[in-house]
Amino acid sequence: MTDRIREQMSALLDGELPGDEMGLLVRRLERDEQLRRAFGNYVLAGEALRSPSGPLASARFAAKVSAAIDAGTVEVPQVRPARPAPVRWARPAIATAVAASAAVVAVLLVKPAMQETAVVAGGAVQQAQRALASLPIITESSPTPAHSQRLAGYLMAHSQFAGAIGRRNVWSSVLASDPGITRASYEFAETP
Amino acid sequence: MRLVRAALALGVMGLLSQPARASDDDARAWLERMSEALATRNYVGLFTHTTGRQSETMRIVHRVGRNGSTERLVSLDGSGREIVRTLSEVHVYLPDRGVVLVEPRTDQGSLSKALPAPGPQFDALYEMRISDGNKLLGRKVRVLDIRPRDAQRYGYRLWLDEETAMPLRTVVADGRGRPIELINFTQLDMPRKIDSKEIEAAVDAAGFRWVRSARPPPEPRPMMAGWRPTRLPPGFRLVASRTQVIPGVALPVQHLIFSDGFASISVFIEPGSPSGPAPSQASSVGSAHAFSTLVGGHVVTAVGEVPLETVRDVATSVVPVQIPQPPPGVSR
Amino acid sequence: MQTQEPRDAEPRPASGVEQSDLELVRRAQRGERGAFDLLVLRYQHKVVKLVARLLRDPTEAEDVAQEAFVKAYRALASFRGDSAFYTWLYRIAVNTARNAMASRQRRPLDYEADLSETEQSAVASRMSHSDTPEATALSDEIHATVNRAVAELPEDLRTAIILREIEGLSYEEIAAAMDCPVGTVRSRIFRAREAIDRNLKPLLD
Repeated sequence: MTDRIREQMSALLDGELPGDEMGLLVRRLERDEQLRRAFGNYVLAGEALRSPSGPLASARFAAKVSAAIDAGTVEVPQVRPARPAPVRWARPAIATAVAASAAVVAVLLVKPAMQETAVVAGGAVQQAQRALASLPIITESSPTPAHSQRLAGYLMAHSQFAGAIGRRNVWSSVLASDPGITRASYEFAETP
Repeated sequence: MRLVRAALALGVMGLLSQPARASDDDARAWLERMSEALATRNYVGLFTHTTGRQSETMRIVHRVGRNGSTERLVSLDGSGREIVRTLSEVHVYLPDRGVVLVEPRTDQGSLSKALPAPGPQFDALYEMRISDGNKLLGRKVRVLDIRPRDAQRYGYRLWLDEETAMPLRTVVADGRGRPIELINFTQLDMPRKIDSKEIEAAVDAAGFRWVRSARPPPEPRPMMAGWRPTRLPPGFRLVASRTQVIPGVALPVQHLIFSDGFASISVFIEPGSPSGPAPSQASSVGSAHAFSTLVGGHVVTAVGEVPLETVRDVATSVVPVQIPQPPPGVSR
Repeated sequence: MQTQEPRDAEPRPASGVEQSDLELVRRAQRGERGAFDLLVLRYQHKVVKLVARLLRDPTEAEDVAQEAFVKAYRALASFRGDSAFYTWLYRIAVNTARNAMASRQRRPLDYEADLSETEQSAVASRMSHSDTPEATALSDEIHATVNRAVAELPEDLRTAIILREIEGLSYEEIAAAMDCPVGTVRSRIFRAREAIDRNLKPLLD
């Protein structure tokens, strides 16, 4: 019985397993770590035969990928920065709906100097604003996915009035990164 | 709409251009030629978009038809994200979130006047220079420098194709002249015709969550009518004020647009208690920045292709207009 | 005008594999995580190799390769099967490696430099890389173990696995070459792999 499953796995690796036999096999593999390990060794055999040397994925590689997907985090390999490392924020996995989380993982950049009540008299407002504006921006923040989505909405609404170059730059940035990932200062240090 | 004669082969950048109306050394004329080209020409290209941390390859298709222009920008590096601008809407496909953001298109009709155009004060704000450059993509180029005279806005260096004025390369520099963003075309074609299929999204969005704006109310809500920033960089004027519905935000939002003729800053005022951002939060998205803060129970957000300090200063200066304030545009 | 195409140094898989990849992707898109795990297992070494070639510091290759797979998983909804799955994955891996390099280098933008893709990857591949001593030693041992195990196989099993893994022939083609039924080919290849697996187990557990 085990042999039959493993033989199916071998055929799957070669693309020679009929589609209707795949379902059962995939489900078994999901549950059976030994089976996954064996599949990994079948793959390894082929790689080792084809090239005499060179880097290989470690034995735990696939498990680490699976864990990273489950955790919903993306570890971006980076040189250790001189500043404290940014707080990482969790993204939902592909199958989960995007939900506004009540638990905001955020570090406040600047605490507002004024209360959020009714409008205050002019002088106090200006004073509060000056105090707010003079506080330095010190750390990075980690918005929720809902905030990023709102920010994307703002960016898109703004981009329609930005002129062709501005629009293209903003659109490219929206596509390239997650809106809401912040940095306290620019990464570039040298002038050309 | 000017007629342009097509070259022999499709897809070759050999379209004959109109002779320059002003002398070639006129930097302002080159800027106008570039804006015209970007708005009125068909083009298809690949470019890399590079900021400090990353570089992505994008494909852009810009199609001009009888009823207006449509556009599609696709990330080619695996995220599957793309933006499609149809005649009436803008769709942002985010496959990694299973979400499509939908906004109505707003750059047409009377609001097209709100698009940046250099005014008489432009020379006081930016220093412009045109010079020769090395060839790019095998084409002769002129280099247009737009340097701000203060540190509150960005500078641009644009490598313009001599024949069509299309920007083949763009570098954005911060207020101190340090480069922070690069857009570099690695391929650019300007075909006479573009199939409308090229503007269709490739993403299979079945099962995605479509986040749409609801229809905006006919009148702006009276209590929002009077919000204004009291601090703006010199030269920024209010060019439009509208009520906008943002995908995913329940209530309509007041949207003020300010421009200095080249850069734009938007101020959004969102009523009610925030469900999203913590009070006072900064975000960088490429070279653009956003800053949110709480004012009188509203979330005020300034967004623009300007340095972070600029949007922060603008956002934190927004007040309801019941308080007598000096008009916007007064320098600090 | 330059056209930038990915340098696909890996041989294209047989069409049977492409189709089975597509089926696995479809299952993964429907939520079957096991299907994606299989794809990871199948391409993990290829991606690690590719990334190691591009990074200046190949000790990070595994982390960056891991990120590439996670990105691919998140973007699965946008894969429609217009290209082979590995071609699509290849591109994601290249981009992830380039981004990782850029974030490390913090290279200032040079107005005059040509930042075309070909040039970047050409520079990266010219750099010679050295693995950590431990990783190299283990990798060497894995290669030696596999090759020894194959050399010790009975001839029909050895022929079958070599025709499959090195020549890339389909079961039908191997059956024709060895003058036996397809079912026999499938069984021989399976038994060859089992033998190699038995040899690898003590090394990797």
